[in-house]
Amino acid sequence: MNDETFLNERVEVLASFGDGLNPCKPIRFRRLSGREIMVEKIGLRHPANKGTRTIHVFDVTDGGADYRLEFDTERLTWHLTREADHYE
Amino acid sequence: MNSGYNNERPLVMHIDLNSCFATVEQQSRPMLRGRPVAVVNRRTENTSIVTASYEAKAMGVSVGMRVKEAVKLAPGLVTLESDPAKYRFVYHKMMGIMKRYSPHITMKSIDEGVIDFHQTTDDIRSRNLVDIGYEMKQRLRDEIGEAMRCNVGISTNRFLAKTAASLHKPDGLDVIDHENLRATLGRLKLTDLTGIAGRNQQRLNAVGIFTPLEFLDTDAHALHTMVFKSILGEQWHQRLRGFEVDDVTHDLKTVGRQYVLETKTLSFGEITRRLHHLCESVGGKLRSQNNVARGVFVYAKSNSQGYWHARHMCDLPFFSNSAIYAQAMMLFAGAPPDIREIGISCYELSDDTGDQLSLFGDQLAREQHVTEAIDDINKRFGDRTIHSADTLGTGIYVKQKIPFGSTRYL
Repeated sequence: MNDETFLNERVEVLASFGDGLNPCKPIRFRRLSGREIMVEKIGLRHPANKGTRTIHVFDVTDGGADYRLEFDTERLTWHLTREADHYE
Repeated sequence: MNSGYNNERPLVMHIDLNSCFATVEQQSRPMLRGRPVAVVNRRTENTSIVTASYEAKAMGVSVGMRVKEAVKLAPGLVTLESDPAKYRFVYHKMMGIMKRYSPHITMKSIDEGVIDFHQTTDDIRSRNLVDIGYEMKQRLRDEIGEAMRCNVGISTNRFLAKTAASLHKPDGLDVIDHENLRATLGRLKLTDLTGIAGRNQQRLNAVGIFTPLEFLDTDAHALHTMVFKSILGEQWHQRLRGFEVDDVTHDLKTVGRQYVLETKTLSFGEITRRLHHLCESVGGKLRSQNNVARGVFVYAKSNSQGYWHARHMCDLPFFSNSAIYAQAMMLFAGAPPDIREIGISCYELSDDTGDQLSLFGDQLAREQHVTEAIDDINKRFGDRTIHSADTLGTGIYVKQKIPFGSTRYL
């Protein structure tokens, strides 16, 4: 069945801004609990609109679970909005 | 034997994303790659599967199957709720890639499109289309992600290009031309042909046509007079021979939405609140195309009394959510009990020129201004920032889902 937990957790994110297809790349993020997660791979980055605000949605993995990070381009904030089950 | 087939160079390419939504989910969530995945519109056991990944299909899961049946076939099946924004992004990416090769592209649905190379530049047309097909597959992987796969079909018309794209799934590339037409159709069943299912299959079987080759060998007159009893017979005769008959655009005739109730125990009031939500959604779609309507059609599927519908045609055009809902409610008063599904559509659409509405006085002008103001606010701050108080709380059930058949609202 569904393997995702929906969250709305403000997180601190270390990201690089360069060029290429994904100019913005989250590298690692720290959750409210203090746990740090290294981003191993970006699955897909897509924009989504909340009214006229653009949110960039990053579906990423640390190699054990998938996460969704959302970057609000107006407020310059990052939120962790989904966490999936861990697979072996 | 092959006289009468279109022997021009194949210049129509059909691109079809494989198991589109499931593939996009596997692209965005790397841990799901290689696992059985199903995309659904609602997270319940009774919901039907919209798309299944190839891993799930290999275990017997098919589109339309209920989740509770699918998990018996595929233990460990991961079901995900559809994510329209993500699919819309991939759709626009795919369209962008296609537009680099020709300005003449047609998106047939959210996961398939057609490129017509007849009127593109000489540089592109002089290239081998098979090479272009492989290049597009690579671009899809480079620009969206490595898990993306598509089928490519090349032929002389849209129908045969689509047929070619369905020959080797996933990730195939095939060409059908006048030389391999008979051999290709000889390997297919009648129902493998797009547009041949149910009634059309019965029509063909009734006159002794059971295979695509028998269909191909039937003359146009027989197809017109004995099978389809209309111009469709000649069109099928041309279509099967590789001549283009499907390069047509259809005007928008109706705008509608439907909803399968989340439980069987909703009261009539709760059902009409969901109907109200659908009316607001249909009103938004109607106005997004700058249309007004004159007719409203509602239907309900009842467990005990089957299918019920009612319609009403107005003298004056309307456009507002409240006007649509008022008529829908008037009709819905006659709906049967024990409902499991509801739907509403507006018909007799015409362009909203503004002039025709202004003829009908201040009240209509006020309604127009209020509706425009609400639409502006919702556009600026997000869908359903302002909506009727009656539909407060219905949003978690009646969510906007991705339209499979139409690309108008993408």
